[in-house]
Amino acid sequence: MKQSWRWPTAVIVLLVLGGATWLWIYERSPNSGLPYKDSFQIGSSEEWTAYGGTWRVARGAMRNESDERGAKLMTGSPWWRDYTVTTDVELLGQQGDAGVILRGSDEEQGVDSYTGYYVGLRSNDGFLIVGLADHGWLQLAGTPVPGGVLPFHWYRLRATVRGCRVSAVAVDSATGVTTSISVDEQSNCFARGRVGIRSHSSGGAWKNLSVTRIDAADLSPITERPGVEHLARIPYAIDEPVVNGPEGRSPGADGAVHGGQLRSTPAETIASLKLDRRSARTTVLRGTVVLTSPRLYVQDTTGGAEVIGHALPDLKLGDEVEVEGEVDLRAYSLTLRNAHVRLLWARAPLPPVSVTASQAATGVYDAMFIEVDGVLEHRSSAPDGSMQLDFTATGQSFRAIVNPGRNRASLRNLASQSKLRLLGVCVVDPGFTVNLYPFVLLVSSADDIEVLSGPPWWSARSLALLAFGLIIVFLLGLLLYIRVDHWRLQAVLDERERIAHEMHDSLAQSFVGIGFQLQAIGNGVVRDLPEVNRQLELATELVRHSHEEARRSLMTLRREFLQSEPLHIALEQFARHMVEHGAVDVQIDLSGEENGLSLALKDALFRIGQEAIANAIRHGSPTLISIRTEYSAAVVSMSIQDNGVGFEPASPVRGFGLQGMRKRAEGIAATLEVISSSGAGTLVLVTAPLPSHVPLARLARYIRFFRLRGSRDEQGNKRKNQYSYR
Amino acid sequence: MVAVIPRTTALILWEAEHAGAETAAHREGLTVYWNAPTREDDVERQISLIQRVVAAGARGLVLAPDQALALMVPVRNVVARGIPTVVISSPLPIPPGGKLTYILNDEEATGRLAADRIGQILSGKGTVAVLGVDPDVSGIVERTHAFEASLGSLYPGIRIVEERAAGFNIAEAQDIAEDVLARNPHLDVFLALNSATTRGAYLALQHRGLLKKVKLVACEQELVPPLLTGEIDSIVVENTYEMGRLAVERVAMQMRGESGPPLVKLSPTLVTRENLNTPQVARMLSMDWRGDGRSGQ
Repeated sequence: MKQSWRWPTAVIVLLVLGGATWLWIYERSPNSGLPYKDSFQIGSSEEWTAYGGTWRVARGAMRNESDERGAKLMTGSPWWRDYTVTTDVELLGQQGDAGVILRGSDEEQGVDSYTGYYVGLRSNDGFLIVGLADHGWLQLAGTPVPGGVLPFHWYRLRATVRGCRVSAVAVDSATGVTTSISVDEQSNCFARGRVGIRSHSSGGAWKNLSVTRIDAADLSPITERPGVEHLARIPYAIDEPVVNGPEGRSPGADGAVHGGQLRSTPAETIASLKLDRRSARTTVLRGTVVLTSPRLYVQDTTGGAEVIGHALPDLKLGDEVEVEGEVDLRAYSLTLRNAHVRLLWARAPLPPVSVTASQAATGVYDAMFIEVDGVLEHRSSAPDGSMQLDFTATGQSFRAIVNPGRNRASLRNLASQSKLRLLGVCVVDPGFTVNLYPFVLLVSSADDIEVLSGPPWWSARSLALLAFGLIIVFLLGLLLYIRVDHWRLQAVLDERERIAHEMHDSLAQSFVGIGFQLQAIGNGVVRDLPEVNRQLELATELVRHSHEEARRSLMTLRREFLQSEPLHIALEQFARHMVEHGAVDVQIDLSGEENGLSLALKDALFRIGQEAIANAIRHGSPTLISIRTEYSAAVVSMSIQDNGVGFEPASPVRGFGLQGMRKRAEGIAATLEVISSSGAGTLVLVTAPLPSHVPLARLARYIRFFRLRGSRDEQGNKRKNQYSYR
Repeated sequence: MVAVIPRTTALILWEAEHAGAETAAHREGLTVYWNAPTREDDVERQISLIQRVVAAGARGLVLAPDQALALMVPVRNVVARGIPTVVISSPLPIPPGGKLTYILNDEEATGRLAADRIGQILSGKGTVAVLGVDPDVSGIVERTHAFEASLGSLYPGIRIVEERAAGFNIAEAQDIAEDVLARNPHLDVFLALNSATTRGAYLALQHRGLLKKVKLVACEQELVPPLLTGEIDSIVVENTYEMGRLAVERVAMQMRGESGPPLVKLSPTLVTRENLNTPQVARMLSMDWRGDGRSGQ
């Protein structure tokens, strides 16, 4: 039998081990997950991890709308080795660069806080650059891009890493002009790592990003290409402006964004516009961009405003802008319509104003970037892909609308009743609130949501789980109790049987021996001593009777007796032995079948019945003893009734035997009633639950116990002829 | 591991410190954890970095604080844990001693050098605008006061026409510089007190075509190529390379139970086209952060 298990077990273990090994090897394979293609077109970017920056997916592209230096977004396997990354890339500002990271690892938030290679397009000098970062930047090479690197202009960038060679090709999407570069790193180059996108100072947008396994054709055209300028390591900062560069562009040369030529227009504050209350006039205000999607909001030191206009420029969070537009004042809100927006300069995003939900609900913080805490009640998806989160907080309720895009998985994992901290723009516009909430929070991305604490343990789900667990523990405890009780009973029965064997071998055999000796004495005694003979006969009779008693007792002590005979038969046999040669009639009445009666229950009932029969015969002088057993689905009832003299309840007859019956009844969660009166016989009635109903019976018993304690005094006097033991 | 956290990274000013720290760490058999906020005014990020490296088991801390008051308690907490701590460049309002050491730039000398240079350029007569006055950075305040005192006493014919704050935002600094230029058409010299305002002033001068007319004297190393062409007159350079090297050496000494002076002030160097290529200056102006230990690998 054992042999038949060995082979299947061995095969299963080998299969499991083989599968685990294959998975382990596959995950470490340089080709695991390749080729890769981004899902920016469908607004998905779950597989990317951000290290700084303000990232969102819009118009089919991943955009970093901050000018944070060295903001990066990483994906892929750390085991990728030789591959090509292809993407369209656009710089969202001047004085910076944007590109891709190759063989990246050990990433942190920080300008150059990663190890790996970087290929980027730099607008300062209009160069295509290749460098490495090892928590510090070293430029390896750069070559000018004909016409420079323009902001808000798409380039097709293809970067390849194979062995210790890093190469790149940049193609101007408008003109088709191609720039290429290639670098051979030292032999101890970075061998493997993930891919990433990164921008420095300018922000950036990337789309159609793919990573493919490298093949031999990827490098040769680049390395053989003539005229590629390979520069030595450049000692200065990556964003160092170029002086008198022949092909590079001077900083701010196109004057699109920076510079004092755009300033000096008198501007009003948002608070003054709200106080003035004059709509439909044109004004100019200066503020910082706090939200770009789904609508544009700007904020100054006095408040916030929504900006609606045509041909709004691509803006990043933190951009300082000058807005000229028509004032549209509502109850709490200021909107500038038909607005023209001019970018003054880029800044770090504004810190939020920390308010409570009740403060936000006043409308004072309309169109402002705030931080507010709330308890998540409900989560749903809107048709446009945004996520709607409903919150309660200090007697208020509000809704947060989270832009579709990166890190949606974290939103799906938010548990109801969690306490969250949200950063977003507070709006009281009924277009968003639909008059269901005092305010709505427009959240730029899932990164602006922080879980402060999970749901409380006393939530409905937790309580249900706790109750379920307690029930399981209770049932296991009960099972253990029953099992222990069974073991205890088995031990008692074993001990009884041992005693019975001991008594049989000693006491009973002694009675037999004494009987023989008395007979021998009787046979030797002369017949003319009648008194002696009479005493000998009496002694012999006493010995015989005692032997019978001992035999009967031994019989009832033996487990086989109860195991082999039904309860009513065992009681009948006992009663008939007791009344043998007497004038007492024994009647048996049975109703139902003896199924589901445990040995413990049967033993206890038998002992109670045995005591009741013995009491009836010894003290009642009956002519009839009726034994009745009745089995139903839940209980078994046993009654022993005699027609003897009975007893007065007030008399001190409740001796040791009655106490023993009561104890045994308690042990099986049974009720015991002894009903008697003088001259009217005695009825002993036991009703016991079958084992499967014992817990419920015990519970009911406890309830009755406590209920009866309260009315014990009242009821105690009413019972004149009845004793119940429960 | 010794955590070296400058005000920010990827600038010449701080990458020179990186090189100095790497050089000393290589000699002492230590490793350097190098990171900083992406902006010089991101105090919160710098505090969280300090807490993170301490939790990660850093055996020493070298810090160039972004702000004097806000960093006081975090640094005190690090020192209380018995971690050797060296504050460089600009001081905190905590007295040195015990596990806390200062290795600072001599701001008075910086102010005097700038005043001397401007006095020489203008031959004792002209106008100067000061950009980048920042009350949050005690070193810059000291630098400004020293410049004003020195200029007033040595060159009374030179007048300070504007003193403007500009923060750490280059575009804003450029905007302010252009405003100053518009208000002072006969300005002779810009003194930029930090790297961001140096860049802002340079861009403003470039944008207005005034690079030849208005001289730019800078503090904190930045924009080396314009120095080569003469578009920037001179830079008063902090010896951050030496600060990084000494700081890591001091941490190593403390780890060995040795002690040293609790406060060291390093003299700045006035860098012009003439001394730009000397080895000492080249080392202070290099972005090659690998130091003597790693660059040869």
